[in-house]
Amino acid sequence: MTDARPESADRTPTSNPVLRRALTLGGIVAAVLFVVTAVLGFVFAGGEGLAGALVGTAMAVVFMGITAASILIANRFASSDLFVGAFFGIVLGGWLLKFIVFIVLVVLLRDAAWLDTTVLFLSLVAGVIASLVVDVIVITTSRMPHVSDVELPPAPTDD
Amino acid sequence: MDATTVLAEINGNIATVGYGLAAIGPAIGVGIVVGKTIEGVARQPELAGRLQVLMWIGIAFTEALAFIGIATYFIFV
Repeated sequence: MTDARPESADRTPTSNPVLRRALTLGGIVAAVLFVVTAVLGFVFAGGEGLAGALVGTAMAVVFMGITAASILIANRFASSDLFVGAFFGIVLGGWLLKFIVFIVLVVLLRDAAWLDTTVLFLSLVAGVIASLVVDVIVITTSRMPHVSDVELPPAPTDD
Repeated sequence: MDATTVLAEINGNIATVGYGLAAIGPAIGVGIVVGKTIEGVARQPELAGRLQVLMWIGIAFTEALAFIGIATYFIFV
């Protein structure tokens, strides 16, 4: 059976630019959030608050960004025959791994004396919410084709 | 041994049950999001890119609750 789809270069899903933009914008917002939470953490809880704010924001930004990054990585296999399996394997495998690492981090940092856990929790919540806001802004301002961007084969000629 | 005695025997931190509950919700949520995406891509493979973006925002919102739920470990004793 011949494959009616175009060559492998055209099979990359149209979601790539949106996800890349979300990661870039997320990085910029994360940089701003780092400063804000660090200052607030330092003001309210001193050095431990500063450390907690930095760790909390970093955890939120990294763990929320991994989903988009895993989709981008999975899309590199778009031309493979095993794309659907590989895609969900990478995205959901990454998700599972992320949560295991997150739970281990939470357990390890719980009793750490060098950071303020309350500030860490609040920074994490702030980071998660900021990340969601960025995602929604990117989605609502993205221009995604409603139909496929697959190129049609050239029209037959008479000669 | 009746049920009341068994319940009275349970010891440890009750908040641990909360972390378990925090894992169940997102698991179901992501399962539905991904399952429906597979369904959509199976019906219209050419919309895979668009559906991926919608799947991503769905997963983002679902996992946000999981992160906050599990991170309550920091503030609840």
